[in-house]
Amino acid sequence: MAMRELVTGGAACAVPGSSSSSNPLGALANALIGSSSQKERLQEIPTSTLNTSGSGSIYSGGGEQLSALPGSELEHPLHREGSEFINGFHAANDHSHRFGDIWDGIQNPHLHGREGQANFHPRLQPELNGPPQRVLSSFLHSFVNSSHGGVPFGPTQLPVLGLSEGDKRCIRDRSSIMARHIFADKTEDFINGQVNALLSSLEIDSDGHGQMPGRHTELEQYWGESQSQGMPLPPADGWADEFAGQQRHNPNAWALSFERQHGAGGWASEFEHEQTQMTSVAAGAANIPSLAAMEQTRMLAHTLAQNTNPKFQNSKFLQFVSKMSRGELTIEDNQVRAGGDWANEYQQQYNTGSWADQYAREEVSRWGDEFANERVHHGPVDEQWVNEFSKLEVNDWADEFGRQVGEGVLGDDSADNWATAYDEYLNEQAVMKQKSESSRGVYVFSDLNPYVGHPDPLREGQELFRKGLLSEAVLALEAEVLKNPDNAEGWRLLGVAHAENDDDQQAIASMMRAQEADPTNLEVLLALGVSHTNELEQQAALKYLYSWLRQHPEYGRIATPQLSESLYYADVARSFNEAAQISPEDADVHIVLGVLYNLSREYDKAIESFQTALKLKPRDYSLWNKLGATQANSVQSADAIHAYQMALDLKPNYVRAWANMGISYANQGMYEDSIRYYVRALAMNPKADNAWQYLRISLSCASRNDMMEACDSRNLDLLQKEFPL
Amino acid sequence: MPAFKTPFNGYAVKFSPFYEQRLAVATAQNFGILGNGRIHVIDLSPAGPIAEIAAYDTADGVYDVSWSESHDSLLVAAVADGSVKLYDLSLPPTSNPVRSLSEHTRETHSVDYNAVRRDSFLSSSWDDTIKLWTIDRPTSVRTFKEHAYCVYSAAWNPRHADVFASASGDCTARIWDVREPGSTMILPAHEFEILSCDWSKYDDAVIATSSVDKSIKVWDVRNYRVPVAVLNGHGYAVRKVKFSPHRASVIASCSYDMTVCLWDYMVEDSLIGRYDHHTEFAVGVDMSVLVEGLLASTGWDEFAYVWQHGTDPKAP
Repeated sequence: MAMRELVTGGAACAVPGSSSSSNPLGALANALIGSSSQKERLQEIPTSTLNTSGSGSIYSGGGEQLSALPGSELEHPLHREGSEFINGFHAANDHSHRFGDIWDGIQNPHLHGREGQANFHPRLQPELNGPPQRVLSSFLHSFVNSSHGGVPFGPTQLPVLGLSEGDKRCIRDRSSIMARHIFADKTEDFINGQVNALLSSLEIDSDGHGQMPGRHTELEQYWGESQSQGMPLPPADGWADEFAGQQRHNPNAWALSFERQHGAGGWASEFEHEQTQMTSVAAGAANIPSLAAMEQTRMLAHTLAQNTNPKFQNSKFLQFVSKMSRGELTIEDNQVRAGGDWANEYQQQYNTGSWADQYAREEVSRWGDEFANERVHHGPVDEQWVNEFSKLEVNDWADEFGRQVGEGVLGDDSADNWATAYDEYLNEQAVMKQKSESSRGVYVFSDLNPYVGHPDPLREGQELFRKGLLSEAVLALEAEVLKNPDNAEGWRLLGVAHAENDDDQQAIASMMRAQEADPTNLEVLLALGVSHTNELEQQAALKYLYSWLRQHPEYGRIATPQLSESLYYADVARSFNEAAQISPEDADVHIVLGVLYNLSREYDKAIESFQTALKLKPRDYSLWNKLGATQANSVQSADAIHAYQMALDLKPNYVRAWANMGISYANQGMYEDSIRYYVRALAMNPKADNAWQYLRISLSCASRNDMMEACDSRNLDLLQKEFPL
Repeated sequence: MPAFKTPFNGYAVKFSPFYEQRLAVATAQNFGILGNGRIHVIDLSPAGPIAEIAAYDTADGVYDVSWSESHDSLLVAAVADGSVKLYDLSLPPTSNPVRSLSEHTRETHSVDYNAVRRDSFLSSSWDDTIKLWTIDRPTSVRTFKEHAYCVYSAAWNPRHADVFASASGDCTARIWDVREPGSTMILPAHEFEILSCDWSKYDDAVIATSSVDKSIKVWDVRNYRVPVAVLNGHGYAVRKVKFSPHRASVIASCSYDMTVCLWDYMVEDSLIGRYDHHTEFAVGVDMSVLVEGLLASTGWDEFAYVWQHGTDPKAP
């Protein structure tokens, strides 16, 4: 585990005593540490403000205003509907039903939904054959049953009307409230996306009593959407589309609910005004968000599929929700249709769509100019926009746009620039994506692997690993995971081998595969946490360390689920301290604590934790290495050498410890010695790229420029001859 | 004991406080999202199958039901159309419901009958309010409107006729005294929506809350800074929580993780029983006052189960 001694070691490469900023590497290190700590701070701010604002408005917002209401009522408890009626109600018991009926007649219109029934069936024996209920229910159930048995769902004719406004409102409100209970683990966006997808497949406009109160999620959401989509669209449009889409059917109800949540305001009426103006524009564009919603629903399906509990796999309700929200089912023109039709139709509608035309008619040139201007000033924002947009049908859109440009609808200059710039963005993006994929989480296999075809590569790999032949072990284990890609143990061991071989990228990639195969494996989670710590990726590290806690049979209950969404260093550390108090004899907890303290750069505490762990597990060589690396990071390189020596005594072929030893010597200015250790490490694993870089630095610091070329050409024979250990 | 198949998705189940073999089951079509509702009144018999002695249809899903504490034949139901309906088993079906009280502007989600002052009951609704009713009045006596989001449950204190607790999606539980104008205590009990609450039947200051955060917390309202106990073990939101009428520290709960759990919050390994019999979300649970250890549950798998603690609910 290389606690990036490079970072501190680099600084020490400069003439001792000189300021680290004079050393480019030191400056880089500072930048790294600086930027990462800045990142931490940036991440803390939104979480904490969110919390305070959220709870604040919940607890203070509603209560104050309304508390007077029940009190006044208390003073006149029966002033409400006139006591005559009540007397009558009491006196003539026989009439009570009639009164009751009258009463219902009066009251029912206030209820939402079911207008027809409420008015025409005052006796409240419900019309069980009412078209909406029976048709929908038989349709839902036949659907649910067919999906249950794996039979393809045959389309049926819906004879009469689809759903009344009241029914739609019921479906919308209830499903959004229920979704919040069922998908509590997920983010607000996810839940909204899922509900929206369900609603859009039923052609119901979304709205928001289901929204959580107090946090002004509606506003936030719209703000967020208008921001992210915002740049290119004339802002009012994007915003109005959003609203118009939601409002078309029942603007009043929406306004009411909005008023109820956010206080009455002229804003709403102003909005309504705005909305009527925008309605025509909105028609084509209103569907855009639902594409994003579909995307999110795919995530839902994925999540559902990941739940291994067979009961959940079989849950009719979850199947129902996920099918519906995937758009595999829809009601359109009073017909129920299965599947892809809808998506195709949508696609068509979208491609040929009125949207683009509409768009062209709408002040395209103004928009183009605006965009060009914006681009100059706000490079990054644009990129964000492009990202956002490319999630939609970028190509179609780009074609469309290209056509427009060709026809010279746009002003020539700005348009050309823009189009070129846009192409560049797309290319850059593609390249970036590839790059990040190859470096993150995608395992790169060796080209020539003699172990492919071996009858039992796993055992061979274990054997080689035990012998300390790490590079050979890696090859054998690669053969194993090629043969059995779902073998968590194979991936895990491969990850360990890479970690000990000082290759964190590959270690992370293989550990991630191991975690996919077995999401609850504690060792894998711990290893991922450590590797990400090495790479200074705090969030990822926290995520895995926290999952470790959650999956642990003893400490799982300490881990509260709400934390897992937004991990905050202090909370995680506290949970682990709790765990350490519960069982002070568990070395693993102390190890994790040590890693955590490394993340927060509290090296003294980290050293303490590792030392405690070592008392419990004195023969754990990787633990000695962790201790050494931490000591080196806290500028106790002399101590670190002792710790590394312990590790190497226990496991002579521990490449990482050899390399770390070199770093510690370099930190103390003993560059000749450091070179020997680096060379030794590289002799064991020539693929340890980090070590090659360290070696180069040490060579230059030791004024051994004569060996630079050997280093650059990776001539190990020469180096070993020159620097024997 | 045999299970009872309901045509709709189960939402709540309650033991009669008068007859040990009698239960009421509230159900709703299409998972309560859209459609009708039905209330079943069923009788267990030691040998034979479960007998349905009455069924009442409603034009919207029934989310909760509560037996009257004063009349053995009286039931009150929370209906998704916002109404609160009273049913009298002793009257012919055509005369039912005997009352339909329509004041809530959104889904009524729970009803609870006062066990001390036996003429009054509470309803809680997604319109963010709780309403106090007495059976002789056609309108509510009071409306308690402080919560900022759906009120999923309101429960009377078993000792004090005027005190009740409410659980809301605004992440607070509140304690109320109907003699006071506003709530007397606000308990920010969870960081996620609170779906249910119940009072200890033995300690009049102890309540339990259950939440979307998958936990149940037990609180002493005299000192509510920290929970007395936090019960983790459900894998999804905990839909209902219920204190045992017989043992001071025993709690039953049901969850979207499809299980019914029994807890003893006083002991270290709190989870003392887990029942895995439902195949969809378990949303209703109750414990018999008259027979110790007798449990009932219902869920969206359209079954109601009654069983003795420690036995298999599915055993015939």
